[in-house]
Amino acid sequence: MIDYKKFSLDNGLRVLVHEDTSTPLVAMNVLYDVGSRDEDPDMTGLAHLFEHLMFGGSKNIPDYDTPLQLVGGENNAFTNNDITNYYLTIPSQNIETGFWLESDRMLELDFSQKNLDTQKNVVIEEFNQRYLNQPYGDAMLKLRPLAYKVHPYRWPTIGMDMSHIKNTELEQIKKFFFAHYAPNNAIITLAGNITYDLAFNLTQKWFGPIEMRNVKLRNLPVEPLQTEERILIIEKDVPSNALFKVWHVGTRNDTDFFTLDLITDLLAGGESGRLHTKLVREKKLFSEINAYISSDIDPGLITIHGKLMKGVDMQHAEEAVNDVIASLLNGDRISDEMEKVKNKFESSSVFSNTSILNKAMNLSFCELLGNAGLINQEVDSYRKVTPEMMLEATRRYFVPSNCSTIYYKSTRKEK
Amino acid sequence: MNSLQRIQPPVFPADKIVIPEAKSFMLSNGVPVYLIEAGTEDIMRLEFSFKAGQVNEDLPLLASTTNRMLSEGSQNYSSEELNRVLDYHGAFLNMSAEKDRAGIVLFFLNKHIEKVLELSREILFRPTFPETELNSLMKKRLRWFHVNREKVQNIAIDQFFESVFGKNHPYGHQVTEHDFTGMSQVLLEDFHGKYYTPDKMAIIVTGKIHERTTSLLNEYFGDLSSKNIYIEDSENVIKGERKKKIHINKAGTVQSAIRIGSSTINKRHPDYPGLKILDSVLGGYFGSRLMKNIREEKGYTYGIGSSVSSLDLSGYKTISTEVGKKNLYSAIDEIHKEIRLLQSVPLEKEELAVVRNFMSGEMLRMFDGPFALAESFKSAWEFGLDNSYYYNLVEKIRTIEPDEIIELAKTYYNIDELYQVTVGAK
Repeated sequence: MIDYKKFSLDNGLRVLVHEDTSTPLVAMNVLYDVGSRDEDPDMTGLAHLFEHLMFGGSKNIPDYDTPLQLVGGENNAFTNNDITNYYLTIPSQNIETGFWLESDRMLELDFSQKNLDTQKNVVIEEFNQRYLNQPYGDAMLKLRPLAYKVHPYRWPTIGMDMSHIKNTELEQIKKFFFAHYAPNNAIITLAGNITYDLAFNLTQKWFGPIEMRNVKLRNLPVEPLQTEERILIIEKDVPSNALFKVWHVGTRNDTDFFTLDLITDLLAGGESGRLHTKLVREKKLFSEINAYISSDIDPGLITIHGKLMKGVDMQHAEEAVNDVIASLLNGDRISDEMEKVKNKFESSSVFSNTSILNKAMNLSFCELLGNAGLINQEVDSYRKVTPEMMLEATRRYFVPSNCSTIYYKSTRKEK
Repeated sequence: MNSLQRIQPPVFPADKIVIPEAKSFMLSNGVPVYLIEAGTEDIMRLEFSFKAGQVNEDLPLLASTTNRMLSEGSQNYSSEELNRVLDYHGAFLNMSAEKDRAGIVLFFLNKHIEKVLELSREILFRPTFPETELNSLMKKRLRWFHVNREKVQNIAIDQFFESVFGKNHPYGHQVTEHDFTGMSQVLLEDFHGKYYTPDKMAIIVTGKIHERTTSLLNEYFGDLSSKNIYIEDSENVIKGERKKKIHINKAGTVQSAIRIGSSTINKRHPDYPGLKILDSVLGGYFGSRLMKNIREEKGYTYGIGSSVSSLDLSGYKTISTEVGKKNLYSAIDEIHKEIRLLQSVPLEKEELAVVRNFMSGEMLRMFDGPFALAESFKSAWEFGLDNSYYYNLVEKIRTIEPDEIIELAKTYYNIDELYQVTVGAK
C-alpha cells in the first residue's frame, strides 16, 4: 500500500506526496501531458527533441545540470507517445534545489539557437544508434505505420523522418513550449524523505507564481477499425529471419487492459511462458520470442516478436505462434498458469515499490490516467481476471483481420 | 510574490554518509553469510556467489555455460519444472558469470523463502546438465552471438579486452563461432565439481531479515560438504597485445564505435579512489568533460562516457562512445585533447565542487535500499575490502586537490600507452 496525499495550486498544477523516511533521498517526478501524439504530422519528433532542449538552460538558470550535480542530485527524462517525463533524485536536505530548477524551466526556457543546433545533431545520432546501427532496429519504425493509418501513433517518438528534426526552427520550439508546458498541464510527485507540509510550502513558493496557460486542446483523429490483415516484407542483410506481429487493443484505461496484459505474460513472461516453452525449448523454432502490451493512453497494441533459428521456414514459425495463441482457447492448465502470472504481478509490484523513483513515476502516471489511487488497485485488478475473461479477450483480439505482420527476411547466405 | 529570487540556488550542506554494516556468521559447515537489513517491504535479495568466473575456465564459454545450465534440470526437477515453480512463487532468478565470479541472485517475497531455498539448493548443487538442453542452449547462444556481432559496440568491446589483457588470457579471449560446439556434459560437470562447491561459496542476504532466516539457511545449506578436488594453478599470464591501434571494418554502419583505454590498478591500490574521481571528471557523469565537449558542444554522439573497473587480477579504464562515422577521427582528437587538459591545467574550484558533490550524492544512492546495498557490499567484499574502502573514497572526494588530479592523469592516462579500438564502415 502506497500512502499519498494530493493537492492542487490555483494555477492548475497537481501535486502528489508520498513520504518514505527509510531513505535519505527524495525523488521528484514532473510529468507533462504532452507526447509525440500531440505533434503535427509534418513536424514529428518535436516532443522528444524538446525534452533534450529542456536541459539547455532556462529563464534564470543558464545550465540545468551543474547546480543539480552541485547538490548531489541526478536526473534524466523520457518521452513517449503520450507523455514527457522528467525526474531527479536528490539528498533530502537539498530538495529545494529541485523545486528551484524545475519551476524555472516550467516558467520559461532559454530558447537558444546554439543549443537547438547541437541537440538536433544529438537526436540524429540517437536515431542512428537506436534504429539504424542495430540489426532489426528499423522494424519498429516500419511496424507503426503498418498498424496505424490515421492516429499519430503511426510515427515513432523520435520522429518519422530525421528531416523533420533538421528543419525545426526556434519559433516552432517557442510555440510548442507555451502550448504544452504549463502548470495546468503537469503533475508533480514527490516521493521519499519529505513531509507533506514541506512539499506543499515549497510548491507554493516556487510553482505558485507561474501563471496558468492556454494549453492546446487535444483533438486527435480516431484510428478506423482494421478490417484486413496487413503484411510487410523487409529483406536485409541480418543474421537470421525475424517475425513481428501486432494486434490492435483498447486503451490503458480499458477494462480489458489487465486481461490482455495477463495474456501476454502467460505467453511470454519468464522462462515458463508458453511461447518460450513451446517454440524456443520444445520445437526450437525461435532463438528468442517476446510478447507485451503497450501502456498507451489511446488504443494501443499487443506485440509479439521473435528471431528464428537457422533454417526455420517463416510460414512454419508463424503458424506455430498462432497455434500457441489458439492453445489459450482450449482452456487446458489455464487456471494454474493464471495463478502463476498473477503471483508474478504481485511480486513485481512489491519490487517496483522498493524504489522511490518508481513510486514517483507510477503515481504521476496513474494520476494522469485519472486517479493516483490506481497504483494500489493494480494487483487486485489482475487478481480479478477470470479464465472466461481471458478466453473472451483471446477470441476478440487475436484475429487475422486485426493483425499486422512484418516478415523480416535475412538475405545472408546460410553457411 | 514577484520578489522570488530565482538566480541563486538554495543549497544546504550535505549530511554525513552512514553505511550500514553487514552482520556476518557462518553456517555449520563454514559457509560465510552476510546479512544486511534494509528497506520497508517484506522481500529478500539472496545471492550465492562463487569464484567460478571466466578466469577459471580453460575453454571459452565454459564458465558462462555452466552457469546458464544450472537451472536446466536437477536431480529432482526438470528444467521446465524449475522455471515454472520459480515463476509460480513470483521469484526472479538472475544468473551471471563474470570475469572473476559467477553465481545466482534470487529476488522474492519472504513468504516464499522455503521454496526458494529448496530450489536454490537444487540449482546450485544438484544440476544434471542434460545434453539435450545443452545442445539447444548452445544453438540459441550461437544465434544471439551472431546478432550481437552485428553491433559495432560489441565488436569493439570484445577486441578491447583482447588488446588489453591478451588473447591467451581468459580476461581477453574472444569467443568465436567454433567455441559454441565445444561444450559437453562432462566438461560442465567437471567445472561445476571444481568451482561450485560449498567451501567456495558465500551468501549475501539483504532486505527484511527475519529471526528464522539464519536457521533456514543452515537447514538448506549448512549440511553440504565439499569434496577435496585438486585444482592446478593457472599458467595464464596477462599480457597486452603489442598493437595499440586497431580498426575493424564493418560495412554498412552509420556510426563507428570507439573504445580507448588500458589495464590499470584495482580497488586494492591506494590511488584507486583518486582515479575514480579523475574518471568522473573525464567521463563519469552527465556534466563530465567528454559529455560536455563531444555531445553537448559538438553533437557528435548521443552519449559518451568513461569508467574504471576492478578485476581480481587487474583492472581497466575505458572511454566508450558511438559517433557518426564522419566524426570518428575528430572525436578521437577531442578525447585526446581532454586527457591532455587534465594532465596540464588544474581544475577550477567550481568544477571540483560539482564533482565532489555529485559523487557524494552518488554514494548516497549506492547505499539506498536493499538492492543497491547488496551490490555495493559485494563489490568491496570480493576484493577483500570492507566499508573502510567506501569511507576512504568519501574522504578522498572531500579532500582531493587539483594538483593531485593532474598527477593522477599523468600517471594513469599516458596517451601513448592507451589502446584504441575503432569499429565501423570506412
